[in-house]
Amino acid sequence: MHSIAYDEIHDEFVVPQQFGQAILTFRGEADGEEAPIRVIQGSLTQLRNPDRLGIDPVHNEIFVPQGNQVLVFSREANGNVAPIRVLKGPDTQLGASALAIDPVHNLLIVGGRNREAAGSRLLIFNRTDEGNVKPKAIIGGPKSGLAHISGPFAVYPPKGQIIVSVRGSSSESNEMSSDECFVGVWSIQDNGDVPPRWTIGGPKGILRMVRGVDLDPKNKSVIVTDKRLNAVLTFYFPEMF
Amino acid sequence: MKVRRTYRIMLLTLVGVIGGWIIVAGNVKVPGLITGVQSAFWRPTNSAQLVYYDPLPAEAMDDDRCEGAPVGVATTLAADPQDGAGADSSGKKPVRVIRDRYPSYSSVAVDTSRNEVVLTDENLFNVLVYNRLDNTAPTGITEPKRAIGGLKTKIEFQSSVYIDPKNGDVYAVNNDTVDTLVVFSGQAKGDVRPERELHTPHGTFGIAVDEERQELLLTVQHDSAVVTFQKTAKSEDAPTRLLQGEHTLLADPEGIALETKNDLIFVTNFGSVHQVRPGALVASGLIRQSDLRKPNWPLGFGNAIPGSGKILPPSVTVYPRTASGDAAPLRVIQGPKTQMNWPTGIAFDPRSNELFVANDMGDSILVFDASASGDVAPVRVLKGPKTLMKNPTGIYVDTSNDELWVTNFGNHTATAYKLTAAGDTAPLRTIRSAPADQPTLSIGNPHPVAYDSKREQLLVPN
Repeated sequence: MHSIAYDEIHDEFVVPQQFGQAILTFRGEADGEEAPIRVIQGSLTQLRNPDRLGIDPVHNEIFVPQGNQVLVFSREANGNVAPIRVLKGPDTQLGASALAIDPVHNLLIVGGRNREAAGSRLLIFNRTDEGNVKPKAIIGGPKSGLAHISGPFAVYPPKGQIIVSVRGSSSESNEMSSDECFVGVWSIQDNGDVPPRWTIGGPKGILRMVRGVDLDPKNKSVIVTDKRLNAVLTFYFPEMF
Repeated sequence: MKVRRTYRIMLLTLVGVIGGWIIVAGNVKVPGLITGVQSAFWRPTNSAQLVYYDPLPAEAMDDDRCEGAPVGVATTLAADPQDGAGADSSGKKPVRVIRDRYPSYSSVAVDTSRNEVVLTDENLFNVLVYNRLDNTAPTGITEPKRAIGGLKTKIEFQSSVYIDPKNGDVYAVNNDTVDTLVVFSGQAKGDVRPERELHTPHGTFGIAVDEERQELLLTVQHDSAVVTFQKTAKSEDAPTRLLQGEHTLLADPEGIALETKNDLIFVTNFGSVHQVRPGALVASGLIRQSDLRKPNWPLGFGNAIPGSGKILPPSVTVYPRTASGDAAPLRVIQGPKTQMNWPTGIAFDPRSNELFVANDMGDSILVFDASASGDVAPVRVLKGPKTLMKNPTGIYVDTSNDELWVTNFGNHTATAYKLTAAGDTAPLRTIRSAPADQPTLSIGNPHPVAYDSKREQLLVPN
């Protein structure tokens, strides 16, 4: 499983089920072998390989990146339901592998790479964009260090920050472990080949094969998973919050 | 991801996080934790020690809370070779690390010629070799006599292991992170390159080898497929057969066992599946272009039919060994009477015509008549507190010694029983990698993380 999103407004968490092409929602306090309270699955869903997702609990929407498209479902959708809108088309430049939603600034930030781009990029759209829409901004390029976005990423709306795990360049020697790994912080105001405002855990730091990232604003912390360390690391980072 | 343990691990992690927090955060200043012991330099000490892991930089574990320096435009990143690579520009150190520092066994095989048991460790990424008759004292742990691990080995999340009965070669299957089957000599130890590597489809899990016909068969979770290679295949060799398709009823296949008398294969399935269609869609980045040109390579997510996904009950599906294409199974064992709940490893005993299934979420071993079909009860079940069984994933039938070996991913143990053991029966012997009171975090390839602000908990699927 490559994604999980906690919805603190409704006290639920949502996960993708890639093999069964489903989106599962559980009670926040789910424990043991407990069935999901909602399942999005079926022929109308357009779900092909739901690997990651994002949730907007303010506007009650679930976003699913799928390569050249982003599917948007109602948070309360259940069963064989169609997406309420789809972001797709050549102008989107999508190569969507992960995303995050900023419900305050009404933005959708999509990470990934497409055939034309040399490395990974962050594409910034309006949250409600639909169809073949150009991104408002694109962060990417050699100075950005966005060689390979590694996993699910986060936004911190109060400061307009995007927090992204970066795996380092793709090469056989980096397949299992890389000292190029880091967590980088960009702004939703950034556009172009912009370096991160901060880096955490690397390059040449503790991280070996960074994966996902989430935030604990109350304790001013950034939480990071690392596949090679097979560990969960918490960084205290008050300057970002 | 490890996908096969996703939900169990996610829920176990909820429980384990607090314990692990205490365990690890409380020990972060202990030098033994932050100094990895390379297996090549491993020596018996009669006390707990690590075999191998990538060490955390010592300074990273200090718990002082540094202010992070903003990165200026001139800040260099390793990704930009023209600028060169600088040190970690943040100087940021984690204040807490959740990490299990003991091996967690996932699969098992016995080398009867050497009287050794070989275990894969999906926590610290090793293949570990023990004397078959090792038996950990109630308060102790047992050290391996050899360990293979480190970046050169390409060993990470090895979900299955096979020992060549003729020469002792070790075949170790990677699940999900390195698409390579690695083969080592029986004497290998330390951080050494494999004797042979075979590029495999992504998400292989189980292995069965037909020594008579010199073939090896691998299950492929992601694509719900079984691929057959020549046993001597290496590098970019293509499979010789492919079993994949809607009629196969393969659905997130895990373990595989071979029955040579009637020329059958048995496959355990978790139950999640989607359909694929040749030429449906080849999305960028989902499959290597070079693989597309290989014969008998399974169709991946790029060929998935949107909205075709199903979550079916778990099963054991039975096929002729030579089944290929979209062939239907000869029989299916499936239904509530079977007690299957994430059936993982599977082994066959030709003398009794019995199938042994490691029932991960059921904390049990289910034994079926290998001729069974439909919704049938096991002929016996090994389960209960005396068995020490917790999330069994790997299983091996040792016909030379009439023993059944089980790896328990959920409690740092591998346990050996009589082949006929049933009910709540204690193991004959136990190999334990951690003190008995150490909780198991069950973290295996943690990918995403979510912070539950209401409960102040971390949600960690794997």
